[in-house]
Amino acid sequence: MANLREVYIIGVGQTPCGKFPNKAAHVLGREACWAAIKDSGIHARDIEIGFCGHVYQGMGVGQRTLKDIGLVGQPVINVEGACGSGTLSLWEAWRTIAYGQQDIALAWGVENLSKIMSGGPLPLEEDDIEVALGMSMPGLYAMRAKKYLDEYGVSEETLAKVVVKSRKHAAKNPIAQFRKETTIEAVLNDPLIADPLTRSMCCPVGDASAAVVLVDGETLKRMKRDTTRLPIKILSCVAQSGGYASATGLTCDPSENVARTSQMAYEQAGLGPKDMDTVEIHDAFAIAELIVAEALGFAKKGEGSRLIEEETSNYDGEIAINASGGLLSRGHPVGATGILQTVEIVNQLRGEATGYQVPNAKVGLIETMGGAQPAMDGITCVVSILGK
Amino acid sequence: MSDNNERRVLHAEFFTEDPEPRLIGGKSKSSGNWTFPPYLADPVSFTDDVEHLPLPRNGILHSFTIVRRSLPDFTVPFGLGLIDFPDQKVRVMAQVEADDLENDLSLGMEVETIIGTVRKAKDGSDIYSYKFRPTK
Repeated sequence: MANLREVYIIGVGQTPCGKFPNKAAHVLGREACWAAIKDSGIHARDIEIGFCGHVYQGMGVGQRTLKDIGLVGQPVINVEGACGSGTLSLWEAWRTIAYGQQDIALAWGVENLSKIMSGGPLPLEEDDIEVALGMSMPGLYAMRAKKYLDEYGVSEETLAKVVVKSRKHAAKNPIAQFRKETTIEAVLNDPLIADPLTRSMCCPVGDASAAVVLVDGETLKRMKRDTTRLPIKILSCVAQSGGYASATGLTCDPSENVARTSQMAYEQAGLGPKDMDTVEIHDAFAIAELIVAEALGFAKKGEGSRLIEEETSNYDGEIAINASGGLLSRGHPVGATGILQTVEIVNQLRGEATGYQVPNAKVGLIETMGGAQPAMDGITCVVSILGK
Repeated sequence: MSDNNERRVLHAEFFTEDPEPRLIGGKSKSSGNWTFPPYLADPVSFTDDVEHLPLPRNGILHSFTIVRRSLPDFTVPFGLGLIDFPDQKVRVMAQVEADDLENDLSLGMEVETIIGTVRKAKDGSDIYSYKFRPTK
């Protein structure tokens, strides 16, 4: 591999997560982008390229977004990778700078879901034979949950505790969609969506945008900017697509994609799971927090529930998992999610997560997992590691 | 079947009913590797010598759920399962039917391929395709 240049995040911006049916995607997007540019301390016209992650927002949403803040002419690439679209745009921006094509890039994610649906499962691709037969994301994760609970002797109550922790964290996050705490009983008594997942074990429908400004290390040194805004280094950024289930036999695990991608990200950063202080993982459904925590190496296989039962994944615990409230409670505005996770880790590393600051956070990890397709374990997985 | 012309069928190319309902998988002549559905090229040997052959009728229920909230055009609740064909190392996702969804399904049980209603068309008519149910 070529010698990669150092890449830093120097500005972040985000909108609240919630239902904003009257705000078009480019309106949400321009708020986040403008906030990130202001936070970075650079002039907007210094942005050389933009990458916009989204799934359902139509043609040219990235160009429509930047036009409203005076940015026209420069290349804009719209990036789609299902629920991993946001971090796939981060990966595109990172590599364009790491490989020396541009020096300053803007990566953002945006989604307005409430304009197209009020609730229920995400609309999926009907050309997918499993979708045409009734697969939905809650259905898929429910089957993973059913198998996991049976195989490792874990109860529905543990899944409920994931949600209780998530709401508790989100209560202190000013941009979270659900800021009211809940109880195990309330989660278990919620209506079932797909057994064993109840409604609050599934992420909500919501809208938001988040943006980050990236720059290479040499340009950063030369820049005239407000140096009190701490640059955060991208120690690694890896994107991978899902692997075959059939071709590799039946042992293929739903978390294989996450394990493979994170292993590459750890290697690129020269770090391991024990070095992580704060982690944002893709908990679209409560079971995912357990499975993904194991795939990332924070627990042995089948022991992810211990992080919940022993409360070691609370924001002030040994390894803070989803201090933001995660997808379950901060929200999951599909294409925006990966960048919301990134902004959260930057805020934690800067020591600016007032009220829910992870103590002594020096290194953070972001994991995003997008979609599903027949006989495979996912569409896109992106894992990034940030450090200060 | 006599009503074949009137039935609205989804994924007709991926199953046969002759002489009994079975899925059609892809098997590479050179690697012997199976996939469902058949791919253009075998993912192991990267050859395009893929034959379309029926899978066994019976498989094993790896996991399942009862879907209670779904996309439009599906009548809830319905069973959704992952069905393993261990000899072919193929795992298939499909609807699973049972007289009593809550009590008749269990992990690891044997299920058989059947053809049945999987969803509604926009005009309200039934659409048929492959699905599974516990073997009698």
